[in-house]
Amino acid sequence: MPPSHLGPVQGTLELVVLKALSAGGEMHGFAILDWIRERTNDELVIEDGALYHALYRMQDRGWLESGWGTSEKGRRAKYYAMTRAGEAALRDEADRWERYVEAVARLTPDEVGG
Amino acid sequence: MSRRLDTEHLTPGDEVSREIEHHLSEATERLIDDGWEPAAAREEAERRFGMDHRPGLVRLVKRRKTMRKVESALDSFRRGGANLVRTLRRNPGFGLAVAATLALGIGANAAMFSMVDRLLLRPPAHLTDADELRLVRVERETGVYTTLTYPDFDDLRAHPGLAGVAGYSHQRELTLGSGAEAVDVAARLVSHEFFGLLGVPARFGRTFAPDDDRIDAPGTVVLSEELWQRAFGADPSVLGSDVRIAGRDWTVIGVAPEGFTGVALDRVDLWLPLQPAQYRLLDGNDGWRTARQWWWMAAVARLSDGVTDDAASAEATRLHQNARSEGRDERYTDTALRMSPLRAAMGSEAALRVVRWLAGVSLVVLLIACANVANLLLARGVRKRREIAVRLALGVSRRRLIAEQVFESVGLAAIGGVLAVALAYWGAPAMQRVLLPEVYFPDAGLNDRVLLFAVLASLLAGVLAGLGPALQGARADLGGDLGAAGRGGSGRRSRVRGALAVAQASLSVVLLVGAGLFVKSLANVRGLDLGLDVDRLASASLEFETSGLTTEERNAVFERAARRVAELPGVEAVTLTSAPLQWSFATSLRIPGIDSIPRLPSGGPYYHAVAPGYHGVVGLRVLRGRGFEPTDDQGGAPVAIVSRTMAETTWPDGDPLGACLIVGNDNEICRTVVGVVEDASRGDLQEEPFQAYYMPLGQVDFEAQAVYARAEDPGAVVGPMAAALRGFDASVRFARSETLREVLDPQARSWTLGATMFTVFGLLALVVASIGLYSLLAFEVAERTRELGIRSALGARQSRLLGNVLVQGTRLAVGGVALGLLVAWIAGPYARELLFEVSPRDPGVLVGVAAVLLMVAGLASLVPGLRATRVDPNVALRAE
Repeated sequence: MPPSHLGPVQGTLELVVLKALSAGGEMHGFAILDWIRERTNDELVIEDGALYHALYRMQDRGWLESGWGTSEKGRRAKYYAMTRAGEAALRDEADRWERYVEAVARLTPDEVGG
Repeated sequence: MSRRLDTEHLTPGDEVSREIEHHLSEATERLIDDGWEPAAAREEAERRFGMDHRPGLVRLVKRRKTMRKVESALDSFRRGGANLVRTLRRNPGFGLAVAATLALGIGANAAMFSMVDRLLLRPPAHLTDADELRLVRVERETGVYTTLTYPDFDDLRAHPGLAGVAGYSHQRELTLGSGAEAVDVAARLVSHEFFGLLGVPARFGRTFAPDDDRIDAPGTVVLSEELWQRAFGADPSVLGSDVRIAGRDWTVIGVAPEGFTGVALDRVDLWLPLQPAQYRLLDGNDGWRTARQWWWMAAVARLSDGVTDDAASAEATRLHQNARSEGRDERYTDTALRMSPLRAAMGSEAALRVVRWLAGVSLVVLLIACANVANLLLARGVRKRREIAVRLALGVSRRRLIAEQVFESVGLAAIGGVLAVALAYWGAPAMQRVLLPEVYFPDAGLNDRVLLFAVLASLLAGVLAGLGPALQGARADLGGDLGAAGRGGSGRRSRVRGALAVAQASLSVVLLVGAGLFVKSLANVRGLDLGLDVDRLASASLEFETSGLTTEERNAVFERAARRVAELPGVEAVTLTSAPLQWSFATSLRIPGIDSIPRLPSGGPYYHAVAPGYHGVVGLRVLRGRGFEPTDDQGGAPVAIVSRTMAETTWPDGDPLGACLIVGNDNEICRTVVGVVEDASRGDLQEEPFQAYYMPLGQVDFEAQAVYARAEDPGAVVGPMAAALRGFDASVRFARSETLREVLDPQARSWTLGATMFTVFGLLALVVASIGLYSLLAFEVAERTRELGIRSALGARQSRLLGNVLVQGTRLAVGGVALGLLVAWIAGPYARELLFEVSPRDPGVLVGVAAVLLMVAGLASLVPGLRATRVDPNVALRAE
């Protein structure tokens, strides 16, 4: 298998973050990255800075809310959580992703086997 | 969000840095766990992060913060507005009180501003580069004047340091038209450079050219826009047609722009070219062109590039003095000419100063109004304290609450401002007419500058009045206010309200003291002994149709006019004079036996040619000898009468009676002095003593200029006099009359201004302050209903309760009076120059004002006091 770490497909970074927060509850930026790496077995690699861009943008759109708190290690960290709007967005984005995958699958010949 | 720390105070940069720092710490730790060296781990963490993301992140955070601030402000604005509407609906009395108070304060200021603007801030209309214009002033030992002679003005035309100079006359009253439709118009004679120098083009047609300003020019006139509208219906065809002014025909060549009044502020109806007009108006007399003692016009100039005021003034003085010594005219060689900026020379000094003070005064009234509103808002804040406490507990930020409150009070102020503009629209023209009648306000004084001022004043008032109460309100004591015993008037609040009431009272005192001082000054001015019985005399002047009359013929007409006037009801006596008030004539005088007549700084000796009985009619006492009698005419021996000052200075040791005066060019006629009369004013309220002498009209070749009529009520006689004299004789084209008091009034203008305005504003302030005191006490009584009820139930006497309130009110009033008197005492000396023979610390005024204020305060405390006694204990105890 070609050793590749996948960067996020265009426009799916937000979906990924929403999924992370949906599963993990309140998390700070580093924890979100950790969670993604863990769950995807290091396959999905997201550039740290890009994640924060996405977090800020999503906060502006009202999908996330943030607040400063103290981490388990005693450090000051900024935590993110999904809002109601974020939950709705998650459903929409997940739905879109499903449809996209299905559509692409219908296009490409079904050679991938093995 | 379960954990939330307040990071409002962090800058966007800091916030981002902290978040990144946390991330990097975690990442570095992770790498160290994986075996990296700490320093290298950190570097790797930073590399993986991609530090060039940072600026973008900071930008995002900044934008978010800004958006949030804007949203919050808009929200406060919206809620403030909603609150305002709710307040107005639920409590229209409160809203009305606030709006009305502010309307009065702002309106008064707007009206005042329109006058201040016209007098102090703006140059006369339509002048180009008004700052560069210079008025030529004449400085003499006796004072500073603006009047020049024509030759002096002509000399200035050759002044190398001036880029241009124009001459103009003082205001003249002329007749427009003829016969029954003749009207008075205000005219100025101007040299041909006038309009060009000021940079004012004609609105229509053209202005004067050099050819128009020759003695033999056909005669042209420029109309004012206002006259063109009023008398000619704005008809364009009037251009090129002739109009009859002062009995001659003048061709209309143009119309001036609207509101143009030259370099002064009085209304001008038409402009005539200097030389032809002066020539014709004086019936062909052109002595003024060369006479260096004939002072009658003024000059305005522009300096050449690089020339300073001082240099130009020095050169002008040099020209002036050279010309005189060359002409061997010894008089007035000590004069200096000075180029003064137009602004400094406009308007009488005293009036300007008073207007400046009054601007301060109206500002004080606005402050009082704001204090009142603040008090009302504070009181309401106390009522709303529970609501505010609840909202604070729910987490609304204080800043938000304050913003809401301020927006609401600004909204109230805006309503007040609209009312104020309406008030000013109606009141300003009235004020202008009363206080500054000769100043022309082209747009009724209400222009966009005044409107802008009103808007700004409303804004300021709203913020000023609302900020304090808003800050107070947001500082709610949560525990106390939410509890059932949230009683009113926490110590600090009621102390602030008390302080505001004291401040209002003291400001009122200051204004009323000012009023008292000015009223006294005015009374002193009115009561000045001017020699003449100014309040019993009316004067009429005649304008003759033809110029061909001899002095004898003219005087004969005047005598007939006097007889005609004597028949009018109310007229007790009549007389004639060649020198009415404010006209002074001097001529050469020799007294055999006295080598040189002592010269006084005030000039003179001035002569008057008068009818027999003159002194009795005008009220001048004959101190020695006798007055003129009918026998002192052409056939009688030549006689003269001297004034007291003339007698004392010319014959200090001797006796004037029997002395001989040789007047003018009659080298042979020796006029014997037969009497000494008391001094009479020349028409200047603040003049130095001067020498004067009288001669009978029938014995000299001087022309009578006015008919004086003595009456119990000269004001009632003025109209009939003018009517009777207009057209009573074929040779008389027009007649004008006024009382002598009216002639002097403009000089008393500054004290009239001061007295009227300080009184009006002082009373206004008093009303507002007493309403403030009343509402303060009423509120206290209402809040302490429970306590009063208890005390009443325990048997406290009614008079005791009443006394309590009265004492409280009196204490505040006394505080205010004391503070006000102190301020008046300290500031008094600065106002000394504005007053007339009144000490700024006049005890009568100070005591009187204190008494008035205490009395009013007592009355204002009475109603709440009575209400306190009528509290029903049962109702009060149950209310809580």
